[in-house]
Amino acid sequence: MLKIIVPTAMLMPMTWLSKPNMIWINSTTYSLLISLISLPYLNQLGDNSLNLSLLFFSDSLSAPLLVLTTWLLPLMLMASQSHLSKETLSRKKLYITMLIILQLLLIMTFTATELIMFYILFEATLIPTLIIITRWGNQTERLNAGLYFLFYTLMGSLPLLVALLYIQNTTGTLNFLVIQYWAKPISATWSNIFLWLACMMAFMVKMPLYGLHLWLPKAHVEAPIAGSMVLAAVLLKLGGYGMMRITILLNPATNQMAYPFMMLSLWGMVMTSSICLRQTDLKSLIAYSSVSHMALVIVAVLIQTPWSYMGATALMIAHGLTSSMLFCLANSNYERVHSRTMILARGLQTILPLMAAWWLLASLANLALPPTINLIGELFVVVASFSWSNMTIVLMGTNIIITALYTLYMLTTTQRGKYTHHIKNINPSFTRENALMALHLLPLLLLSLNPKIVLG
Amino acid sequence: MKPPIFITIMLTVISGTMIVMTTSHWLMVWIGFEMNLLAVIPILMKKYNPRATEAATKYFLTQATASMLLMMGIIINLLHSGQWTVSKDLNPMASIMMTIALAMKLGLAPFHFWVPEVTQGISMSSGLILLTWQKIAPLSILYQISPTINPSLLLTMAIMSVMVGGWGGLNQTQLRKIMAYSSIAHMGWMAAIMMYSPTMMILNLTIYIIMTLTTFMLFMHNSTTTTSSLSQTWNKTPLITSFILVLMMSLGGLPPLSGFIPKWMIIQGLTKNEMIMMPTLLAMTALLNLYFYMRLTYTTALTMFPSNNCMKMKWRFECTEKTTFLPPLIVMSTMLLPLAPMLSILD
Repeated sequence: MLKIIVPTAMLMPMTWLSKPNMIWINSTTYSLLISLISLPYLNQLGDNSLNLSLLFFSDSLSAPLLVLTTWLLPLMLMASQSHLSKETLSRKKLYITMLIILQLLLIMTFTATELIMFYILFEATLIPTLIIITRWGNQTERLNAGLYFLFYTLMGSLPLLVALLYIQNTTGTLNFLVIQYWAKPISATWSNIFLWLACMMAFMVKMPLYGLHLWLPKAHVEAPIAGSMVLAAVLLKLGGYGMMRITILLNPATNQMAYPFMMLSLWGMVMTSSICLRQTDLKSLIAYSSVSHMALVIVAVLIQTPWSYMGATALMIAHGLTSSMLFCLANSNYERVHSRTMILARGLQTILPLMAAWWLLASLANLALPPTINLIGELFVVVASFSWSNMTIVLMGTNIIITALYTLYMLTTTQRGKYTHHIKNINPSFTRENALMALHLLPLLLLSLNPKIVLG
Repeated sequence: MKPPIFITIMLTVISGTMIVMTTSHWLMVWIGFEMNLLAVIPILMKKYNPRATEAATKYFLTQATASMLLMMGIIINLLHSGQWTVSKDLNPMASIMMTIALAMKLGLAPFHFWVPEVTQGISMSSGLILLTWQKIAPLSILYQISPTINPSLLLTMAIMSVMVGGWGGLNQTQLRKIMAYSSIAHMGWMAAIMMYSPTMMILNLTIYIIMTLTTFMLFMHNSTTTTSSLSQTWNKTPLITSFILVLMMSLGGLPPLSGFIPKWMIIQGLTKNEMIMMPTLLAMTALLNLYFYMRLTYTTALTMFPSNNCMKMKWRFECTEKTTFLPPLIVMSTMLLPLAPMLSILD
């Protein structure tokens, strides 16, 4: 584990000591190398987890998320080059350092053994993200966005701290490997209900659950591209990962307690997908689609069957890559037109045909086209929830249809139709942008050949 | 102030606190407090203006009242136990009187009203001494009598202090008042754990002193006293903007900075003693504190505050205040969390 953590930490001195024309090249290359080092962790043996040290371990749930995190850092760096080109050198280095610190904390979070360490690192990821959103965002609403982001997450997670310490007192340990065997079943008494709520609310806010999702559109829209990418792809998955870890401790109270959240998620899925159909802001559309996909993950985690967990993991990885790719595509629009309004940059297929190909592939992945892992994830979740209760199929089916509707709406608005006159003189696609899209899509396509590695 | 006089006065302040901390005779405790009080008054009035005079007068009146209450408690203890030794077994009546007296000295709610006004009226370096050094003596006595303190009184004061510290600081723009409300809130946290684990109170005090020292020194280095002048830091000393950012987040108790250690340990101590709602309430109210620290961070480091164009041409003076030990203090205020496992030696 140290062979990933120490090189990531060492990326920081490397950034500060590089020559001015080499900072992007150095950081992107070395972060790609680090992601290559993390790939062997995907080779998990059977039912066990790889216990690497006293502090870090990785099992088939955390390994795909770890690889996703390390894969995203070079992509974030590539995506940020354009909007930072006018900043001074030390500000560029500071931005890269923030991304590297965030990466380091995320790697340690996904592989933490002890739940308190997971908590500390979970909270610690808020600080670099806040700095990225507030300092480098573009509109004045970013101040509000940062505050909403910070305070929503903290309000949810402070009870989690109290609950974790309480569990440590009663169970004796919070080491994840040990606690699976020592966890006592808890029934649904009033105090246990509060314990359940305290444990889960932090992750519900982070996922986000439909009623608590207000921070997400603000934060995603106001963040710069790297901030949006890391928020959508990885930080939301922290919530899902945490939920999957902590539900082990909370049986069988989950049977009763899950109902309100299941209903919020199921209804919220349909609501946020419907809102996407009426969005004018492109990034806001992608943000609401993230809420909708994550609601599926919440439903899957609350059902707690093996198939639903597999579906949730696959969906998390798939959504990470797809949503990050959509944000990159939206950013390539933003850099040319300097507005996020969709109709201002329409008919791009005639002007940027290769980018239109990437738009098409990303939209198809978002709609869960077979055989991508998006479909595998969604299918597993839908089937598992059907076996939990027959009625959920109605809402899930509605959600799938509406997802297809808004994704195609986004595609046709930005790509098809006649272009407007004011965008006739935009820059053609840079190689960097094409490479970015390809690097997002390639893992997605390759995983559809062997989905076993992300199925946890 | 002339150096020999200043040295004499500082020595008296220090020896006053030392007497309170090390003595075992209750009368010497009272004498120590009085020495401390009388010697700190000239320090509070270093800048001679009516505001400072008013602040020093308010400080004197409240602290003298508290000392008299303390004396009353001491005499009641003498009446019931017949001896002057500082020990753990106090009469409950005496314990209540002493707790209230020491709470007045510390600025715990509901006796907190003097803290913002006194802190605002004095200069930054005097405010530094007021908020850090002056807390040591009362807390040392509370440490010694902690087994006998009435729990409901102490916990009420703790919860009220955290709430007052949170809500009171929200409308402030003057940095000294913000630090005063921050001090009230931190004293509330310290009071909360005093019943169960006085060692954690000392830990909280230590980390609070380090963070407050660093904050005041950064403000003095910049010679700013208001939020709006703090927002010009990016122009004068850009490095300090990032320090203020991390320091404010550390004061707010965000992991992975050192400000999180006392909060974590206190919540752990409280949950070990079967109190669940109270640490949740304390933690949630501490988020109010975090809000105004975040506001300071926003204006300083993360946004560019509206200013006129001449700001860029500002003549940058050399810092006149002595900010000794600033780099180690900054490191200690932000990076102590990995050393948290060492806290097991405190048991």
